[in-house]
Amino acid sequence: MGKDAARAEWDNPMQFVLACVSYAVGLGNVWRFPYLCQMHGGGGFLIPYLLMLVLLGVPLFYMELAIGQKMRLGSIGAWRAISPYLGGVGLASVVTSMYLCLYYNVINAWSFWYLFHSFQSVLPWAECPVNSNLTGHVEECERATPTQYFFYRETLDISGSIEENGGIHMGQALCLLLAWMIVYLFIVKGVKSTGKVVYFTATFPYLVLIIYLIRGVTLHGAINGVKYMFTPKMEQLANPTTWINAATQIFFSLGLGFGSLIAFASYNQYNNNFEKQAIVVSMVNSSTSIFASIVTFSIYGFKATFNYESCLERVRLLLLNTFDLAEDTISLENVNHWIAELNRTHPEQFASLGGRLETCDLEAELDTAVEGTGLAFIVYSEAIKNMPVSQLWSVLYFIMLLLLGMGSMLGNVIAVITPLSDLKFISRYMSTKTLNGLVCLFCLLLGLGFTTRSGNYWFTMFNDYGATFSLLFIVLIEVITVCYIYGIKRFEKDVEDMLGHRLNWYWKIMLAGVSPILLITLFIFYIVNYIQGGTPTYQAWNKELGKSVVTEYPPYAQAFIGLLLASSVCCIPLTALYTYCKKRNLASGKRERTVSTVSA
Amino acid sequence: MLVRILVLLYLAGAPALAQTLCQPNASNGCRVRISIKTALGNQAYEWNENEMFLFRATMAFAMRRYYKTETYNVDNIIMCNQTLRVSFWFVVTSPENSTMLIPKADVEKAVRMSRHRINNAFLLTDRTLEFLGIHPTLAAPVNPDTPPWLIVFGVVIGAVFAGIIALLVSSLLQKRRKEKGMMEDGQDEEDRQMKGVENDNVLDGIYNRGFTDDDRFTKL
Repeated sequence: MGKDAARAEWDNPMQFVLACVSYAVGLGNVWRFPYLCQMHGGGGFLIPYLLMLVLLGVPLFYMELAIGQKMRLGSIGAWRAISPYLGGVGLASVVTSMYLCLYYNVINAWSFWYLFHSFQSVLPWAECPVNSNLTGHVEECERATPTQYFFYRETLDISGSIEENGGIHMGQALCLLLAWMIVYLFIVKGVKSTGKVVYFTATFPYLVLIIYLIRGVTLHGAINGVKYMFTPKMEQLANPTTWINAATQIFFSLGLGFGSLIAFASYNQYNNNFEKQAIVVSMVNSSTSIFASIVTFSIYGFKATFNYESCLERVRLLLLNTFDLAEDTISLENVNHWIAELNRTHPEQFASLGGRLETCDLEAELDTAVEGTGLAFIVYSEAIKNMPVSQLWSVLYFIMLLLLGMGSMLGNVIAVITPLSDLKFISRYMSTKTLNGLVCLFCLLLGLGFTTRSGNYWFTMFNDYGATFSLLFIVLIEVITVCYIYGIKRFEKDVEDMLGHRLNWYWKIMLAGVSPILLITLFIFYIVNYIQGGTPTYQAWNKELGKSVVTEYPPYAQAFIGLLLASSVCCIPLTALYTYCKKRNLASGKRERTVSTVSA
Repeated sequence: MLVRILVLLYLAGAPALAQTLCQPNASNGCRVRISIKTALGNQAYEWNENEMFLFRATMAFAMRRYYKTETYNVDNIIMCNQTLRVSFWFVVTSPENSTMLIPKADVEKAVRMSRHRINNAFLLTDRTLEFLGIHPTLAAPVNPDTPPWLIVFGVVIGAVFAGIIALLVSSLLQKRRKEKGMMEDGQDEEDRQMKGVENDNVLDGIYNRGFTDDDRFTKL
């Protein structure tokens, strides 16, 4: 309790709320939620999503804030205070956050790369570069699209598989250095500097989203995308994967289990009303997801319509050139009518067209659902290059991505630094500034591994396996610890002490009953899915074909995946064992001493 | 009399001869495809005999320019097989011998050399005035000495570096000022945090909220 006087605090509760919003509203809201919405029946997906928010998201968010604010320590100290045997939960959170820190900033490095390349008269991903003897375009670019070529070749310089390593891409390394320097700048003075930065990182993305919404819905063909997204396909609700994905999305979007929320809340005043804030932040996060998906889908619709009309134009030209008709006989509207007509009147000549005649389908263009880095850096930049004044939209878009990513990075880094700075043996020897600098330097050096030629494959591995399974396990243990080991009654008393009123029946039922059951179901589903999935695979970029191919991970990579999963999960039982042994040694040591004094 | 018959035959036969020289898929013939409406939209002009004449004149100009001679004329350019698409074939005959065709490779080189002028004569571009088989020359990439992205990067990283140095120096100066003045540490939370944690004996005992220094919570 004596640490209260020394601990830094947020200047006002608003900074805390904005920090939580900035952390929770991240890249997942922009690139994962729209994809899930599209995959699981459009408007109908909102039903499981909002239900899971109420049943799982808000109670767990509330619980983490309560723990942080009560214990006023980072995750390691807080969990050790709750239950000495389960201090490993905090350690597991720190390990998982460390993995996240390592690879997440690479996304910010890519955003910087794209941002800096937007300051050119022609966007570099708009056209294929010419080859060395100026006769045509680079073949890899011809087979793929210019945006894919720019991402895979010029940004990543990706190799053919995870086994083929290469040198470090200097541009990427520089951008990663910049990203880590900015993170350091934001956290160098602890919550004092972070508190001021979150005013900007939490609010500016909304400004850009609104500008993009206005631009997006006024684009030609945007309405196709929005209609496609919101048309509910209710039969998807019967699919259990829909519910599982909704729960997982809520879970990861709120950033539960990393220890960031505990760290943020530990800098609160003791009587801060976190109950209202928990509800507010969760609602803001979910509505941002829905808002961002409207923007994403209007841009999707624009891109799909553009590609569809380009396809029609190519078919029209092909027909005109093959049958030597005058230019104004075929227009974009009656292309399909003419195809049928020409097939009827000139069947042999039509047959000679063979495979060159493409079928243009707007639905198929809209169906190409993409998520993750593919959506953000390939699909979006393809849409942007076709907008008028594309440099401006590109700069705005990547600044938004940067702010979203930086806001989440702040939470990740604070989740690692707060518990470390609480440990006595570290804080005795170095100041917070030095500790922050060392953590940033360490993550930068390890993160350089992701800037090598095969770095993107390792990035995907970390992204898919580094945090998903361990987090589920961590949060499950958290809920069970708080409700059953620490006791829901003691928790109630602590909350009453802080807030002044007792726990509502809603919180009690959710925390003690519904959330643990849902978490156990999610956990079992993950394990079953993983086992059933067979050998883990990844998408490798094949430069001859100009597309990604599904490849299996080599054995050492699979072992590394296992190591990733085990390293954070094992912290919990190992720490419990260690504490048990230490307590036993202490107890037996005391007994020996008492025996010796008696005998003496 | 005989001479007149021969002259008549020649005059009758010349176009026929010209026709046999120009054929679709001839080894020395080039095919041209023109898309006026795509290029000009509402301001598209009609393709008629006059435009054909202009084309022949432009091609003769291109041949003159390539060979650096003034012997080529409109008659040396023979066109055939015009379609509604507006596409046609043409061949170039040598000015010395009207039955001999200029090889396709030379015609291509001549076209490449004067492509810009030919396009401009018709208000068209490489894409809308197509010489099938002659690819448009792609513009050489402009390679600046420093890539532009590096310049922007340099500016940003310089600003961030300056910011970090400024923050570190300012907190260092504050600490030094405090140590000199031995002031009440009510402003630098950082400092208090360090001191509080380093010297464990400072914070022994239970913290009584009744003696909170509320000034600490006011904004700096």
